[in-house]
Amino acid sequence: MGWLPLGSSEKPACPKPSADGAFEAPNRTNRAKCYEARDAFFECLDRNNILDSINTKGGVAAAQKACGKADQEFEKNCAHSWVEYFKKQRVVNYQKEQTIRRIEAEGGEIVAPQLPTRR
Amino acid sequence: MSVSCNCIAGAMRAIRPASTLRTELHAVRTSARRTVTSSHSPSSAIVYRALPKQKTICLPRAQNSIWHGRNLGGNPRKPPGQPVRPFSNSTPRCKLKTIEQVRARNKGGPFNLTAAILFISAGVGLYFYFTYEKERVARKRIAEQTKGMGKPKVGGPFDLIDQDGQQFTHEDMQGKYALVYFGFTHCPDICPDELDKMALMIDKIKENCGNVILPIMISCDPARDTPAVLKEYLKEFHPDIIGLTGTYDNIKQTCKAYRVYFSTPPNVKPGQDYLVDHSIYFYLMDPEGDFVEAIGRNFTADQAAKVMMDHIKDWKGPLNKKEHWA
Repeated sequence: MGWLPLGSSEKPACPKPSADGAFEAPNRTNRAKCYEARDAFFECLDRNNILDSINTKGGVAAAQKACGKADQEFEKNCAHSWVEYFKKQRVVNYQKEQTIRRIEAEGGEIVAPQLPTRR
Repeated sequence: MSVSCNCIAGAMRAIRPASTLRTELHAVRTSARRTVTSSHSPSSAIVYRALPKQKTICLPRAQNSIWHGRNLGGNPRKPPGQPVRPFSNSTPRCKLKTIEQVRARNKGGPFNLTAAILFISAGVGLYFYFTYEKERVARKRIAEQTKGMGKPKVGGPFDLIDQDGQQFTHEDMQGKYALVYFGFTHCPDICPDELDKMALMIDKIKENCGNVILPIMISCDPARDTPAVLKEYLKEFHPDIIGLTGTYDNIKQTCKAYRVYFSTPPNVKPGQDYLVDHSIYFYLMDPEGDFVEAIGRNFTADQAAKVMMDHIKDWKGPLNKKEHWA
């Protein structure tokens, strides 16, 4: 994972300090920009048939090779922790989808977890 | 003479049985009349037991008398002379004169349009009433589950500061329903979505129930979420939301009271980038500070608002409708 920028504090999207010195959280505009960059990166991964861009060495390399530019944009517009989170979430979401499909194919029924009280 | 005597004797012989027969028959008749009126089977048993001793000729007459007695006794269908006393004094609603009328009535059974409408409307009315009552009782049960015995299971005293730097404790929640959410401002996607949902819920409840709800977001990330950061962050969602933060220990204690799991590294450097893992539930607390219900992500804003408004409408105690910031 040598290519991953470990120090992310110098990114342009880095929040500015607030009135009492702490760093401000990303606001709605920042978030929208981040989501946009994320979606562009994931679209690129989809085009190149790459699912995992973070957990395995091969995946990281493949993503870097095919969508290096989109990945840079992604890192630029989102906090590093968010980038990691979204990349991992992509894998988890895919696995979840597959599990649901498998269960449905086997004739099982997916029931969303409910509170124990109603319905 | 002997012939005549014989004749007379023969005649006497002939008469005697006839007269005895007549008296015996009379006895049978009266006994039949007497007993049939009281009860049927024993008398007929007596009659039939007596009959074989008589000549067979008696049978039809005796039977006749029995049937006659029966008719006298209690069959109201054919009153022998006097009118039958009816069970009720009211006039029958529909007197069916002809057999066709009776047939026409019996064809459809006891149902007609009026009966059908009454039946269906009563059924529908009862259905809705019972559905409503069932829901109300279920809500009441949920609301009262956490009441009464000892400490409430969720929620409790806390001592935090709001986004203006003012102290805010559990006592400030009294008198209003509180909608408590745990989150952090650097949250990538779930918290902003949930806070947008919270804003919709607040507007919906305010519109329907007045100013009865106190929306609170408690930060699980006190190291980064200072009052100023919270203030800047929350104003994008809804002006009513109160953002609470505090020392790490106070936050930890509050999260423990609300059974909220969170994982913030206790010692973080300023500017460090990390995520906080935490449970994502809205906690509805009643005006006495007791836990009512947890609302998860699977509820839409409208569904969640409805759940809360139903509880608010059930509330019989005093409700503070003053603006919190006033």
